[in-house]
Amino acid sequence: MFLITDFIAFLAANLILTQALGTSTLFIAAGNRKSLVATASVITIFTTFGSASAYITDRLLPVKYTDFTLFFYTLAVGILYVIFLSALFFYSREKFDKAKKYIHVSAFNCAVMGTLLTINGRAAADSSLMHLGRYMLSGIEAGLGFIVTALILTAAYKRLTSSKVPASFRGFPAMLVYLGIISMAVYALK
Amino acid sequence: MSSKKSHIFDGLLSDNTVLSSLMVISPIIICGESLKNAVAIIYAFSIITFFSVMLSSFVPKKLPYAVKIIIYALISSLVCVPVKLAAENFYAESINRIGIYYPLLAVNSLIVVQTEAKFFCMKKLRMTASLFFYILGFDAVILITAFIRELFAYGTINSRMVDVNRTIGGLAESFGGFIFLGIMCGIYRAIRSRISHSSAKEDNDVSDN
Repeated sequence: MFLITDFIAFLAANLILTQALGTSTLFIAAGNRKSLVATASVITIFTTFGSASAYITDRLLPVKYTDFTLFFYTLAVGILYVIFLSALFFYSREKFDKAKKYIHVSAFNCAVMGTLLTINGRAAADSSLMHLGRYMLSGIEAGLGFIVTALILTAAYKRLTSSKVPASFRGFPAMLVYLGIISMAVYALK
Repeated sequence: MSSKKSHIFDGLLSDNTVLSSLMVISPIIICGESLKNAVAIIYAFSIITFFSVMLSSFVPKKLPYAVKIIIYALISSLVCVPVKLAAENFYAESINRIGIYYPLLAVNSLIVVQTEAKFFCMKKLRMTASLFFYILGFDAVILITAFIRELFAYGTINSRMVDVNRTIGGLAESFGGFIFLGIMCGIYRAIRSRISHSSAKEDNDVSDN
């Protein structure tokens, strides 16, 4: 019972279905199932480590420079972007060639930056959330939410792109309506 | 000549940022439910995107792709600061409602994806004109979306009551935004394919003669 309650709470906090964050990225990656799940997984890594760097930024940035929060978040994600690419390059050249496109798509988008800004907003409203563990947990949660949505989209991908759907609505328009219906269900859970 | 012109105007209709490429859709889904929000988003998106892309065009092309993307994102996040400070005077009410979607405009796909894929492959003057129409395309979509959603969700136009018999509250919610945008995309595609079909037919008729 607790698990069901937790799962419902997890779904209700989904950033794509409730705030449409990262929807464009989801559609860019929606070319095929494999890339959709791979992109969602890389985004989870970015949101998790990005949240940790957002915590450090929030701790170190003086209040009078809060207007530059986005700049420092961008810088932090940029550093992570370079670290991930370099690590993968030195680990395996073959894997680097295969995975670099997912890293390119996953670094700068509304899913990652939106997650960091949402966590920042929550911490600003409630100071008890201002610690590293909480930031990273929120980052993981947001990333997992992205994976769940990618899986939900993957489940219906074939039907939404099938020739039975009218040509004008086939693909992206049908996916948007489908996500809208899932979002409506999640809205009811709140 | 005509093909060159059609490329410049592409962003407005045939390759619309939102309806064709499905980019920058989060602010439209969440904030595009009232004209006041839409105007504030249009102001921010237009200025941030235009100046960011123009400034980014001076970044050396020889740099590695990842480094260039990081620099573009940093430039746009800096451009965002004065734009937001000015907006706090002009659109104080809307800024609070828009919330995180305001700074998120700085990492929109037009800046971090399309710059390398499209704009920087063009000559500067052509790029400026093309960028202008891509921005205009986004502005038009959010304006139309906000007008219809506000009218049918709240029964108002720019916060003024109008005579609408039945309102649909769900249109103002995120799910309403998803569904409405999906339907709009479908209609856009149908119109676009009809236009291209009829122009192809005209071309065939001309070549037959």
